[in-house]
Order: sequence, then structure tokens, then C-alpha cells
Amino acid sequence: MGTGRLIVFEGPDHVGRSTHAEALRQKLEANGVPVIITGLARSQILGDLIKSGNKDIHDFGPKTRALLYATDLMDQIENIIKPSINAGFVVIADRYIFTPMIRESLRGVDTDWSMNLYVNAPNPDLTILLKSGPRRLLQRVIYSGNVGTLSRFESGMDLGFSTIPTVSFLEYQSKLKYAFDKFAEERGFLSISTSKSKPEVSGKIWDEVFPIVKDLIFNDS
Amino acid sequence: MSNGVLIAVEGLDGSGKSTQAHLLVEWLRSMGAPVHHTEWNSSPLVASSTKKAKKQKRLKPETFHLIHAADFADRYERQIQPLIEVGGIVVCDRYKFTALARDGSRGIDSDRIEKCYSFAREPDLTLYFKVSPDVSLSRINKGRSQLKYYEAGMDMNLSEDPFESYLLLQGRQREIYDGLTQSGRMVEIDADRTIPEVLRSVREIINDKFDIDSISILDPKDRMNETLDFSIKK
Repeated sequence: MGTGRLIVFEGPDHVGRSTHAEALRQKLEANGVPVIITGLARSQILGDLIKSGNKDIHDFGPKTRALLYATDLMDQIENIIKPSINAGFVVIADRYIFTPMIRESLRGVDTDWSMNLYVNAPNPDLTILLKSGPRRLLQRVIYSGNVGTLSRFESGMDLGFSTIPTVSFLEYQSKLKYAFDKFAEERGFLSISTSKSKPEVSGKIWDEVFPIVKDLIFNDS
Repeated sequence: MSNGVLIAVEGLDGSGKSTQAHLLVEWLRSMGAPVHHTEWNSSPLVASSTKKAKKQKRLKPETFHLIHAADFADRYERQIQPLIEVGGIVVCDRYKFTALARDGSRGIDSDRIEKCYSFAREPDLTLYFKVSPDVSLSRINKGRSQLKYYEAGMDMNLSEDPFESYLLLQGRQREIYDGLTQSGRMVEIDADRTIPEVLRSVREIINDKFDIDSISILDPKDRMNETLDFSIKK
């Protein structure tokens, strides 16, 4: 790989991934480091088909969905992520290969099988797992006035825990959390709790990112 | 309950396998068998994305491999497996061996392809319609005026000339198919012959291998039988 870096944020919906990815982008760019943020379902090939707002994606079987996410991400890896790293950018991936893998693992898809789809995906220089308990996530949904639009997929209603979205959400998020934690432990991801204030969490993230990007920071002396 | 029958047809472009697949499907249907026909790259939702990406020439071997697997998985999860589970017959025009040949000829490791498609069970019978390069090319030329970008393998930079590139890529795929036949995963049929000649071989193999009568057939009183009677009439 080239001179840039790949920093990955993983974690459940509403945990604050996009907020912290954006805060990190600003911090890096203020320090003269060019940044590109990527995410899931943003490729030219499949972006529209697999956006969570498109109900088609939830009609697919779990293996098909895993393959569609892999196609989407590999397209972005080939066309955006790898070239950007080679050009000296810091690529911040607001979710990478692990979220789709973990989501489908709860739906019976073998993790080894999923891993095989991503053998040519570059290894991140740092993977940060943002964590929060299911209750806190739900509170954020309620607080932001979005409880009425909680989607079936976010609540894991296809798994049949409950027909009540909020109840299903809590059950689904606790299963996801367990799977994320296990994954993080096995793979040595950095876990950061988001129960503290936003600046505190951003500060913690920066402490971990800084040593990795130190040599890229612009020095005008 | 999982006593369905899975039959796949494989072969290079111009081998006549799709023609034979149609003939096979209608023959089985005319006997009242619950038969379903599915073709490569035909998932109602995925195929349009594949088509768009091909038009933009955006697919590289890696994404070419994955998007075709997605299309297949969708059909496997929603058509092939559901039919097999209730005792139906599924005729697949191209199966995972096509991925082994096409993705493999584009440099994707065969173990990776096998693993990716490991959810798809081996068919009860896979017919490989083996065609010589000359016959294949002459059939393709009759059917259309020029080769498509990915069909000719222009994404691989094998040659500037589409026809030369096509022959090089098909050569690689033929080797992969031959290997699969040698390892006993496919039954070879000489597809250089005429349609009726090839059809005779297909029916012989099918009759030899399956007891079609034992497959649950349509209720004789079902109104669908009117259509059947019409198909069988000579």
C-alpha cells in the first residue's frame, strides 16, 4: 500500500460513528492531512440498490445481501479507497467489512464464508469500535424524535424477537453488541465507549489516531 | 422434505446449452413435472445493476466475481432451494461452474470461488455441452453482429482485437470446464452436432439417470392440465 492510512469506525446505528468520523476529518484536515470518508452503500454500482431506505435490500436472503454489500465495498475499495491511500490520503471508513459481516452472522451466515469475500480488502491501520448499550441507543432514537421511523431492519424485526419495534430493537442491539464485542476481542480492535460527552470521546479517538498519522501531519517550520 | 432434482447445463457461449435447456424444461413440463427454469444473471433485482455496471465498464475481476455471485445467491435463496425443498425440478442454465470458468479465467483463485459458492449444493446432474472453438464462434457470429465488452474479455487486456481476446478467454474457460469434467462433476456431451442429435443424447442421459414418473406430478384435475394437453399433442 501507499503512504496514506485507513482508519475504520465500526459500531451499531445511532452510536455516533458518522459524528465522530466527521470530527476526526476536521481535526486531520486542520492539521494539513487530506481525508476521504467512505461508507457502506455508496458505490456507483450498487449504492442505490442496497441503501437501507430501499426496501428491496431487506427482501433479499442473507447470503445475497452479504454478497451485495461485498460488491459495493470492493467497488469502493478498488476505485476510491486504494487509490486514495496510494495518493497519501487518510481514508476514514464509516463502517467497513465488519458491520455487514456481523449483521448477517446473526442471520445465520458463517463468518469464515463472509471473510472469504473480502480477502483482497486492505487491512485497516486502526479499527475503532464505538460502543453503547442498547438502552442508551434507544434513548438517542427517542430523544431525536425518530422512534416513529425506526426501520424494521434497524430493529431486527425480521428475526422475530417481537412485533413491537422498540422491544425488538433492544433485543437485536444486545445481540449485535455481543457479536461486535466478541469480534473486537478476537481481532484486537480498539473499543471506545460513547457514554461520555462528544468532545471527550473525540479526544479519546484522537489520542489513538495521532500516533498512527503523526508522520502525515503538516509541519510548516 | 427435500427430494427435488437439480439439473444444470454448462458450456461456452454458442454451445447450444440454452436451446437444450428450454427443450428439456418444456419436455419435463409436458410430463406434468413441477419444473422451474432459471438463467445466469437473471435475478430480478440484481441483474439490472450488473447490466449498468457492465455498460459503464466498471467491473474488475473482483467485483465481477462478487456481483455474479450475488445474482446467483438471490436466485438460489429464492428460487432454486425453495423449489428443491418441496420436491420440484430446477433446470439451471449455468451454475457455479460458470463462475469457476469465467472468474477463474479472470485470475480469481479457484478455492475462493468454490468457497464463495459453497452454499450451492452439487447438482444431481450437470450436462457440459462441449463445443469446438470454430463451431462456437460461427454460431455466435450468426446470432449477433459484434461481441460485448465482457463477453470478449476486453476487461482483461488480452488483445486489442475482440475476436482474438474472445478466443483466448474461451480457451482458458474450456480448460477449466475440461478439468471439471475429468473430475467427474459434469457429464460431457458433444455439442458440435445438430440440435436433434444433441437432444437425443440429453434425453438418453436424463431417462437413464432419473425416474421422471416418480416425481410428483400435477393433479390430473388441475386446470393447468389443459395447457399440458396442448403441449403434448403432436
